[in-house]
Amino acid sequence: MTLSHCIVLALILCAIGVYGLLSRRNLIGLLLSVEVMLNGANLNFAAFAHFRATDPVAGAIFPVFVMAVSACEMAVALAIVIALYRGRRQLDVRSLEELRG
Amino acid sequence: MSDLLFYLLATALVIFSLLAVHVPNLLHAAIALIASFFVTAAIYIMLEMEFLALAQIMLYIGGIVIFMLIIILLTTGIGEERRLPVTISRRLAGAGLAALFLGGLIVAFGRWTPPAPAGTNPAVSLDAIGLRLLATQNGFVVAFELISVLLLTALVGAVVIARKDKGETP
Repeated sequence: MTLSHCIVLALILCAIGVYGLLSRRNLIGLLLSVEVMLNGANLNFAAFAHFRATDPVAGAIFPVFVMAVSACEMAVALAIVIALYRGRRQLDVRSLEELRG
Repeated sequence: MSDLLFYLLATALVIFSLLAVHVPNLLHAAIALIASFFVTAAIYIMLEMEFLALAQIMLYIGGIVIFMLIIILLTTGIGEERRLPVTISRRLAGAGLAALFLGGLIVAFGRWTPPAPAGTNPAVSLDAIGLRLLATQNGFVVAFELISVLLLTALVGAVVIARKDKGETP
């Protein structure tokens, strides 16, 4: 297990997240894909902190901030999903275009 | 031994993540996501990041994915995605772009020569993380407090967004 292995794994996770973002049509499915991408990013932080960094403690702390921001994102997403679902009974991202200019 | 274990875990992680983004039923996808987070926690332990593994299990699995499961159960009913069929062309476009993205990044990283290897770092202890998180000198205390304000703001914002308007009939 070397740094390169971990980087490749993180890249694969990120690509899987991109695939999910592009192919899902449900709003919650998009959120799931974003979580997969964030997971890859956190893995990268941990791998670099373990193998290369001069300051591994910072590498261990930063993913915790990512997790906290991700929790905020989920809370707001829950509210948006509920507000949308109350009005229109579906979560198709193709039909959500009130903000289109 | 360590290599074999890593390959096993990485394969499991990729498979569970693919399931999480591919399975039509969102409930099953969320459960696959839980499995992938558990495997990630195992990889963190292999990287000697016990704190991250704990945070992964408690925050991600215990908090965020459960949140997501609540959203799914509150709104869609089980199997909502069937009403939004994903066309094969959409899947192909997604897969193509993801492959392009992955290939480009791998080429970019292949040309990159890593900084001089410092060997592996010693395991990060919980004490060090706690002290560093709240240290004012070269620490993360400002970010820590900002995160708490951000969490509070997000909670208040979520309540405001999700609240019914006055005149709206339920």
